[in-house]
Amino acid sequence: MARRRRLASVGLHAALGTASLIAVFPVFWVLVTSFKPDARAVGTSPRLLDESTVDNYVRVLSGEKGDFLAWFGNSVQIAALTTVLSVFLSATTGYAVSRFRFPGKRSLMLSFLVVQMFPFAVLIVPLYDILLALGLQGTSLGLVLVYCTTAVPFCTYLLKGYFDTIPTDLDEAGRVDGLSPFGVFWRLILPLARPGLAVTAFYAFLTAWGEVAFASAFLSAADGSKTLAVGLQVFVQQNRTEWGHLAAASILVAVPAVVVFYLVQRHLVAGLSAGAVKG
Amino acid sequence: MAEVSYVKASRVYSGNPPVRAVDELSLDVPDGEFLVLVGPSGSGKSTALRMLAGLEDVDEGAIHIGGKDVTNVPPKGRDIAMVFQSYALYPHMTVAENMGFALKLRGVNKAEVRKKVEEAAGMLDLNKYLDRKPKALSGGQRQRVAMGRAIVREPSVFLMDEPLSNLDAKLRVETRANIAALQQRLGTTMIYVTHDQIEAMTMGHRVAVLKDGLLQQCDTPRALYDRPANAFVAGFMGSPAMNLKTVPLTSEGVKLDGLVVPLDRRALDRAAREGLREVTFGVRPESLALVPAHEYGMDMTVELVEELGADALVHGAVRIGNASERFVVRVDGRTPPALGNRVKVAVRGAGEIHLFHPESGLRLTD
Amino acid sequence: MRRFLERHWYAYAMVLPVVVVVGALVLYPLAQGVYFTFTDVNEASIANPVLDRPATYVGVGLRNYLNVLSGDPAYGSFWSTLARTLVWTFGCVFFHYTIGLALALLLNRPVRGRAVYRVLLMLPWAVPAFISAFAWKYLFNAKYGLVNQALGALGLPGPVWLGQSDWALVAVVIVNVWLGVPFMMVALLGGLQAIPGDLFEAAEVDGASAWQRFRHVTLPGLRSVSSTVVLLGVIWTFNMFAVVYLVTGANPNTRILVTYAFERFFSGATRDFAIASTYGVLILSVLLVFAAAHRRALRAGGEVW
Repeated sequence: MARRRRLASVGLHAALGTASLIAVFPVFWVLVTSFKPDARAVGTSPRLLDESTVDNYVRVLSGEKGDFLAWFGNSVQIAALTTVLSVFLSATTGYAVSRFRFPGKRSLMLSFLVVQMFPFAVLIVPLYDILLALGLQGTSLGLVLVYCTTAVPFCTYLLKGYFDTIPTDLDEAGRVDGLSPFGVFWRLILPLARPGLAVTAFYAFLTAWGEVAFASAFLSAADGSKTLAVGLQVFVQQNRTEWGHLAAASILVAVPAVVVFYLVQRHLVAGLSAGAVKG
Repeated sequence: MAEVSYVKASRVYSGNPPVRAVDELSLDVPDGEFLVLVGPSGSGKSTALRMLAGLEDVDEGAIHIGGKDVTNVPPKGRDIAMVFQSYALYPHMTVAENMGFALKLRGVNKAEVRKKVEEAAGMLDLNKYLDRKPKALSGGQRQRVAMGRAIVREPSVFLMDEPLSNLDAKLRVETRANIAALQQRLGTTMIYVTHDQIEAMTMGHRVAVLKDGLLQQCDTPRALYDRPANAFVAGFMGSPAMNLKTVPLTSEGVKLDGLVVPLDRRALDRAAREGLREVTFGVRPESLALVPAHEYGMDMTVELVEELGADALVHGAVRIGNASERFVVRVDGRTPPALGNRVKVAVRGAGEIHLFHPESGLRLTD
Repeated sequence: MRRFLERHWYAYAMVLPVVVVVGALVLYPLAQGVYFTFTDVNEASIANPVLDRPATYVGVGLRNYLNVLSGDPAYGSFWSTLARTLVWTFGCVFFHYTIGLALALLLNRPVRGRAVYRVLLMLPWAVPAFISAFAWKYLFNAKYGLVNQALGALGLPGPVWLGQSDWALVAVVIVNVWLGVPFMMVALLGGLQAIPGDLFEAAEVDGASAWQRFRHVTLPGLRSVSSTVVLLGVIWTFNMFAVVYLVTGANPNTRILVTYAFERFFSGATRDFAIASTYGVLILSVLLVFAAAHRRALRAGGEVW
């Protein structure tokens, strides 16, 4: 029995270990490559360390390959704004849909589902016109709003599911204790919904952080106002053979996303499943 | 402190047909009274309470607290405190924060809040737990925190929605007494919802019985028990339940298994005026007694004996007409009959018989 | 009316910001997009507010739809592209789900280092798609990519992964599966944790084997999570433009409906907005049909979203 259990445990670790290796390896390999000179990066007998230095990083960060730091700043600003706004919008909407019965609620939720079915990037032209009419074309706020429309529907579903798991008794206790409906939302429900909010924030952040098509259409073409994703895209097209530099730039782009991921990962399981279980 | 009144208050859920969860409830609760709302599930008792709290709309009629019409006032403007069945403690706040939250919202200064919280905690024996989160407390402690949260407010009315139903039996009995004593001490009007008729009987100054959204009767526990206004109240209050049987009526009284139980004249007259040939006859288990075989009584075959210690409950079958009806008799616990015995059962006194209209269920006896 | 507003105003106040933003930035463009499908609008004929140039496109009735639905290769061979899209979508979602479920089951056991495994396994989710695409392109490179080097070391021939063959489709499916498994795994893990433990104990007491417990307790317990994530997975994969486009570019062997819409939209001297929008509407229609069927199947099973 003990022997069998031991065997099962070894099997379990082997399976999880292999899967983890596959999950991590592509990124790990980019990391390895990012330290190699371009010529070594395309060697036919790859090694972990091959004249590895931090030169690639130095050259990318120094702006030699484009105004990397400016792109980085833009991306952080846009992603942060998208995150905050998406969380705010989907939290208020998710709460209303979770707690109140009001005419139009069903069609609102259905339209959120339908919105995800249309490839909105083919509507860049009408979107462009609207942003222009609103005076938001070329501004980061315009881009942020567009990102919100892609992130909010799913986030609302997610948060609605999470709010549904918080007993309504708490809302009522809060109202009896003297809170307004908004006070209940702000002081009781939001603090309790942290896991759900964390997932929402993560999702919204990723939506904005890696996106290329909208960013290249709606930001001004000046090099200094590009986001990382756009800048790197250009970089890829111009430097097809500089794998080492590309790898270093990619790692620099991936790091903030991974940091955000690490901050919220504890909450992901609880936050995501509440939304998915309840639908 | 304040009196509470429901003035033909209704809660109607839209639907087809609309559901009248609470139907034209009229009820006056004087200042300082402990009123219990009791009824089976779906009777509208919780809805009625929540209407008073402002958590449920009042679709028709009005509700007054302390003489003021609060029908359209949000909960926070009603000066009430409520204890929920689930306690609804805020999980992210400590016990002290939970209890002081309402005061904090009203802008009471911190020292004052702390003082009041400590006072209430002292009353409920919670001082040791003030810095814990609700998660780290036992069920009974959580219940006390919920009570404390209500007390700290010093509201004009306490509302309690089945606050004991998540406690184990022993703790429930203990807490029952504590709540009653607390209410006595504070002298604050209390509206208490429960489905448990023992709680209702033991705690309330008056008890209001609801069924299907309609108020059946509101009176003191004693009056409710002795003179139930209809067959429903008769059957609902008291444990074990009153024996309620529809039996043929004669000019003398009711016929049970060849035995005619004589009835009060006025009740008979009333039945005759209505042209009734049958009535619903009710007698409580303790109003029946086993009598020696040669005496006048109904024959009963013992089918089950529940020994409670002091008493025993004897369940048995009695023939009424062609049907076999079950009766429960409360007997002395030391000498219960054995299973399968045939015993004679008689009503202790004519005054202990309740008669109800067989269709409307309304009381016929005085 | 006053009563109506009184009762619902805070609900509406809370959804209003979303309704405004979505209305302006989704519904209006969508309506215009649908309108485009009945015209011959392209880069040259569209109104250009910057250049102050008026629109010169004209209505063409249903011609765009007829052209696309005829399956003409000049309009993207709609039917064979749809078939490829379906293969792509269901292939990806199938592997997402099965691998995700398997990993979730493993992670749901008490195993030392579970938290570490979980973080590592979720990592692909956190990496921006274009970086994953870059990483995999590098690995799949026919000459110096590690995949082929590994195959070579095992004595297997290494195909030209990202060339003009169906290997390219296999490659993008692999990439997309790698990307999409973490989401499924996390959602299903949450679902597993939500199944009450005493159900398993009851089944065990009833004499159910491990397989029977999986079949009769785990799977039914995951039904509602599964139906949601599969629906979302299908919608997202169907419209997964980034991975396909970034890994293989405009390769006809990996062309799915949404990438073709992009090709029409972005490439060529005259960017063909009309056909791109037509494809968008057709994609929406296919997904609506799928969602309706999904919903019916759920309703038959007693659940409705």
